[in-house]
Amino acid sequence: MFKGDGVYMKKIWNSNIVRFFRNSPKTSIGAILVIIILFLTVGASLFTSIDPTNRFDNEYHSPPSNTHILGTTQLGNDLFSQTLYGGRVSILVGIFAGVLTVFLGIIFGISSGYFGGWYDNLITTIINIIMVVPNIVLLLIVAALIDGVSPFLICIIIGLTSWPWNARVLRAQTMSLRNREFVYSAETLGESKLRIMFVEIMPNMLSIISSAFVSTIIYAITASATLEFIGFGNPLSCTWGIMLFNANKSGALTSGAWWELLGPISGIVLFGAGLTLINFSIDEVSNPKLKAQRIMRAYYKVKKAQAKIIKKLSLNNTRMEG
Amino acid sequence: MSDLLTVKGLSVDYVTANGGHVRAVDNVSFSIKEGQSFGLAGESGCGKSTIAYSLMRLHRPPALISSGQIIVGGNDIVHMTEKRVQQLRWSEIAMVFQSAMNCLNPVVTMEKQFFEIFRYHGITNDKRVSRKKAEELLSVVGIPAERLKDYPHQYSGGMRQRAVIAMALALRPKLLILDEPTTALDTVVQRDILKCIYDLKKELNFSILFITHDISLMMEFCDTIGIMYAGKIVEQSSSKSILHNPKHPYTYGLKNSFPSLKGEVKYMEGIPGTPLALNAIPVGCRFQDRCFRSCKECFTMEPEISTINDGFFYCHNPLKVG
Amino acid sequence: MKYILKRLWFYIMAFFGALALNFFLPRMMPGNPVQMYLSNLYTSGGVIDNATIAAVEKLFGYDSNKPIIISFFNYIGSIFKGNWGVSFTFFPQTVLESTQRGLRWTVFLLGTALIIGFIINSLLGILVAWKRGSRLDTTLTVGGQIMANIPSVVIAIILSITLAATNIFPRGYAVTPLFFAENVFQYIGDIAYHAFLPVLAVIITGLGGIMGMRANMINQLGEDYIVMGIAKGVPDKKIMFGYGARNALLPVVTSLAMQIGFLLGGSLIIELVFNYPGLGQIMVMAISRRDYPLMQGILLMTTILMLSANFIADIAILILDPRTRRQGGN
Repeated sequence: MFKGDGVYMKKIWNSNIVRFFRNSPKTSIGAILVIIILFLTVGASLFTSIDPTNRFDNEYHSPPSNTHILGTTQLGNDLFSQTLYGGRVSILVGIFAGVLTVFLGIIFGISSGYFGGWYDNLITTIINIIMVVPNIVLLLIVAALIDGVSPFLICIIIGLTSWPWNARVLRAQTMSLRNREFVYSAETLGESKLRIMFVEIMPNMLSIISSAFVSTIIYAITASATLEFIGFGNPLSCTWGIMLFNANKSGALTSGAWWELLGPISGIVLFGAGLTLINFSIDEVSNPKLKAQRIMRAYYKVKKAQAKIIKKLSLNNTRMEG
Repeated sequence: MSDLLTVKGLSVDYVTANGGHVRAVDNVSFSIKEGQSFGLAGESGCGKSTIAYSLMRLHRPPALISSGQIIVGGNDIVHMTEKRVQQLRWSEIAMVFQSAMNCLNPVVTMEKQFFEIFRYHGITNDKRVSRKKAEELLSVVGIPAERLKDYPHQYSGGMRQRAVIAMALALRPKLLILDEPTTALDTVVQRDILKCIYDLKKELNFSILFITHDISLMMEFCDTIGIMYAGKIVEQSSSKSILHNPKHPYTYGLKNSFPSLKGEVKYMEGIPGTPLALNAIPVGCRFQDRCFRSCKECFTMEPEISTINDGFFYCHNPLKVG
Repeated sequence: MKYILKRLWFYIMAFFGALALNFFLPRMMPGNPVQMYLSNLYTSGGVIDNATIAAVEKLFGYDSNKPIIISFFNYIGSIFKGNWGVSFTFFPQTVLESTQRGLRWTVFLLGTALIIGFIINSLLGILVAWKRGSRLDTTLTVGGQIMANIPSVVIAIILSITLAATNIFPRGYAVTPLFFAENVFQYIGDIAYHAFLPVLAVIITGLGGIMGMRANMINQLGEDYIVMGIAKGVPDKKIMFGYGARNALLPVVTSLAMQIGFLLGGSLIIELVFNYPGLGQIMVMAISRRDYPLMQGILLMTTILMLSANFIADIAILILDPRTRRQGGN
C-alpha cells in the first residue's frame, strides 16, 4: 500500500500540468500568491473572529499585539480583520472593473477593427479623445461630477474611462486578422457577423485578451485604491483604499504608525505581484519567441562547461610546455 | 601553393531549450590554399553560412562550436583567446555579408563605418587619413568619393554591395568570405559585382570562400567546389570535375536544377523532397530519402570517404559518368 | 518638416477633442454644475441674485437661450483668449492664476523624473538585453515590472514611511518653509533635497519601461549589422551603445510618449502624499470643493502637458533617426 502511494504521487508530479508549474517558477509563485490572498480574504472569517467594524474603546491607535495582530486604527478597529474583510471588496471591485473594461474593450475593439468604415472612425475618434487626457485625471473628474461614492459606482467609472486602452490593442489585432482566409471563408459561408467576430476572430486573440484582463485587474485595484485614498470612497465602508485614506487622515504618515498601513499595502503589493507574475507566464506560454529565455539559459550552461574544459586543456598545455 | 586555412572536424551545435542540441555542421573538414577560390554550395539551411561564421568565431547564441579545429597561420581559431580573435577578424579574414542593407548600421554614415575599421585595428585615429583611405577603396570599386558622407539607405543596392566589398578589403585580408554576395541583386548587377571581385583578387591575391546556392555561378568563379548537404560536405572537387563528372547524386541534382543560357531546352529535373530536418537524422546516409540512386546500404551505414585525384566524396553508389 | 506639421496637426485635433470632452462631460453627468456651484457659493456666504446667477451661467456656458453649439464655440473662444474661468476656491483668482505655481512644480517633478527615469530604464534595458537569459535579466525584468504595477499611492506611502521616517529625507513640501537661501546653490540643493523622494517614486512607477527597451534591444541585436560590427572589430561596449542601443532607442522614445499620461497621473497622486505643491494638491482641493472651473482648467492643463511632452518626443525622434530626416527632405 505504501508503494502504491508513492507511485501515485510520482504520476501527479510528472503530469503535464504540474511539470508546467515546476518549470516556470514565475507561474508557481504568482499563482500561490494570488491563491493565498484570495483564500485569506474570502475566508476571512476563518482567520479572525473579530468583526472589522467593531470598535475597541480602550485600544485606540495601538501597535500590533497578541490580540490585534496588526494593531488598531485611530477609532479602535482591528486592522487585521479590516485588511481581510476589506480585501474582499477591493479585489471584487478590481475584478468587476476589470471585467467591465475588458468587455467594453473587446466589443468596441473587435467591432471597430472588423467593420471599419465610418463606425471605425467614430470609435477611433472616441478612443483618441479619451486617451489624450491622463487616465487618473479623467477618472477623478468623472468621479467628482457624479458625486457618487459606492464601490459599484467606482467599478462603472473605471470601466467607462479605461476601455479605450484595451480597445486599441484589440482593434489592431482584429484588423490584422480580418483579412485572413479563414475570415473570408466564414463570410462566404454566410456566418453571421456576430459569430465571425466572437467565434472566429476572438479565440485567436485569447492570449492578448487574458493578458489584458490580468493587467486591467491590477490597474482597477490601483485606480479604486487611488480614488478612495483621495476621498471618493465611502468612509464608513472598509476597503484597502479606505484604510489608506483613514490612515492618512489620522496622520499615520507623520506619526510613524506604520501598522495602520501594513495591511492594505501588503495586500495590494502582494496581490499585484502575483498577478504580474501570472501575466509574465501567460506571455511566455503564448509567445514562442520568449521561450528563447530558456534556450539562453541552457546556452550559458553549455558555454560554461565548455569554457571549463578549454581552460583545463590550456592549463595542461602550458604545464607541458613549461 | 601552401594551405592558408585548414578546417578539421568542425562541428557546430545549436543549443535547445532542454539543454540538448541540434548539430548544424557535422564533422566538416576542408582546406583553402593561398590565392585559391573555394566555393561552398548547398540548399538553404545546410550549414554553409554557419561554417563561414565559424571561421571568424562570429556565432551568436545559441550557436556553439562544439569540436574541431580551424587552423590559420599555425594557430587554432577555435581555441584562441577572444582578444586574439578580435585582432584576426577583418585583418586576416574578412566577410562580405549577404544583404548589404541589413549589415550596415543605418544610423552611421559610410565615412564613419570605414573609420571604425581603421580605428579599432590601430591603423589610424585621424579622420582625415581615414577618409583618404576610404576614398581610395571606394574608387577601386567604382564609387565616387563624395558619397562617403551619405547613409547606407541612400545608396542603391549594387552600390551598397560594392561598398561592403570595399570595406571588407580595407585591411588587405588574406581570406575573403563571400556569403551569398549576389543573391539580393539582379543579374546584371550580379555580373558587375563578380567581375569587380575577380579583378580585385587578381590584383591583391587573396583567397576566396564563396558561399552560394547558385552552383552555376560558382562554377565560373571558383577553382574548387565543396557540396554540402544537411551539415556535411558530401563531395569536394575541382570545379571542372564537378561540372563534367559529378559523383554524388546530390551534386548532379544541384547542377541540373539551373537552366543553362545556351544549348537546347532541356527538361528540368529538380531534387524531390525537402531538406533534412536536423533534429531527426536518419540512420545511414543523410541523403537517403531524396536520392535517385539509393541502395540498401544507404539506409544502414553512413558512407565512407572516397578520395579521387582532386577531391573526395561520400557515397555508397556514386555516379560513374566518365 | 512635413513630419512635424503632421504631428502638430494631430495634437491640435487632440486638444480640441479634450476641449469637447471638457465641455460636454459635465453636461452628460447627472446633476447641474451651475446649481452645485451656486450652492457652494451660498454656503460660503456669497450673495446670490439674478446677476450672479446669470454670470455663473455664462461662466459655465450654460446660457439657456443659446443653442449648445454656439455655447461650445464661445467656450473655445474664451479658452484661447486666456479666459479659463474664475476659480471658486481661490476666488477671485482666475483658474490660470491659481494653477501657475502648481504647474511649475509639477512640470519640474515630472520633467526631472521623466529624464532620469528614461536614462535609468534605457541603461537597465540595454544591460539585461545584452545579458539576456541570465539571472540578472530575470531579476531586473520581473522585479521592475512588479514595482511598476504597484499603485503610485502605495509606492509614495512606502517611501514616505521608510525613508522619511529616518529623517534622511523630508516628508514633504518642495522647499523648507521659511528658509531663505543665501545663494543659488543652497536653493537648488534645498529643492533637490525635497524633490528626491517624489522623483524616486515617479521613477519607480515608470520601471515598466525597461521591458520596452529590452525588447527593442533584443530585436536589434538579432540584426545582421551587429554581426558585421563585431566582425569589423568594433569593441563590445561600442556595439551595445553605438549599434544596438542607438537603433533601439527610436521605438523606445515612442513608447515613452505613450507612457507620459500614466506617469503624469501617478505624479499627481505622489504629490499628494508628499505634500508637494504641484497640480495634484490643487486638483484635490478643487475636487473636494467641487470647483468645476478649476477642475476643468486642470484637465485642460494636464492634457496640454501631455501633448507637449509627446510633441517633444516626436522632435527627438526626428533628430535621432536620419531616415525620418531624409523623409522630410524627400
